Amino acid sequence: MPDESLLTDDIRALIGVETPLGSVEVAPRTWRRAVEVYTGKAPDHTPAAGEPISGYVIAGLDTDYESVGMPNVMPNSILISNQWEFDRPLRMGETLQAAHRLVDITERFGGRFGYSLDFRAEVVYRDATGAVVARSGRTMTQYSASDARGGDE
Amino acid sequence: MSLDSAALKEGDELPVLHLQPDLGQVIRYCALQWTFPAFFYDPEAARRAGMPGTLVPGPLKVGLLYRAVDEWLGEAGWIRQVRAAHRRPDQTNRPIDIAGRVARVYEEDGQRRADLELAIINEQGEPSVRGFAVVQFHS
Repeated sequence: MPDESLLTDDIRALIGVETPLGSVEVAPRTWRRAVEVYTGKAPDHTPAAGEPISGYVIAGLDTDYESVGMPNVMPNSILISNQWEFDRPLRMGETLQAAHRLVDITERFGGRFGYSLDFRAEVVYRDATGAVVARSGRTMTQYSASDARGGDE
Repeated sequence: MSLDSAALKEGDELPVLHLQPDLGQVIRYCALQWTFPAFFYDPEAARRAGMPGTLVPGPLKVGLLYRAVDEWLGEAGWIRQVRAAHRRPDQTNRPIDIAGRVARVYEEDGQRRADLELAIINEQGEPSVRGFAVVQFHS
């Protein structure tokens, strides 16, 4: 365990900073592929432009830009949660602006991973008016394997 | 049979979705994301990384929770949020069940919504994922 917090002012300053990632299109091909990945079958029809569609497509939108990594503060990391959030259903054919944001960092002392840091980040998707349409988030725990103890929970 | 959202109440259970994610599904997921960590599709690479075999990626599992809710909800509404807290790894080609129950039915912003508690249960009967979802019903 480190002698002092690794959550420095420089790291804290990253919280809330948005990095624009450019535009992404909710394309029919991306939607069809995403549906097939999650449901195991290809959709029998493709919704027309402007129709609301299932949110699976958000997993495919993540690849339309250069990804932004989280700061590497500790030697090991593990994914502990994922979240999809929609303010309205996505619509076929729409173009959204994507931005990456580090939402929060939580410091933990003790527990399964010993001293650890939880980095919660998200990609925010906005429509042409600037309104948030959807978010795809994840939380990674960074830790040192030498301080972690076994166990499932 | 479509969901009767007007009759929905706290404690109602979602039908259990039985799945067995296989390596093909994982590879298709990797292709969708265009990211290919070898431990997701190569059993030897997974074992070298200390895993018992190839695993179902966590971000794939949040989509499987979405699927369970989407199939239950049908045309009655849409999914506002789904969250997966990963507790244990799930190996490919092993059966999993996705279970859920209605935790709360309420009005918010003039809309009828429900909170759902979800879980992915592995073949040992242990929760590998604790999940949560919010759905909004059509008026």
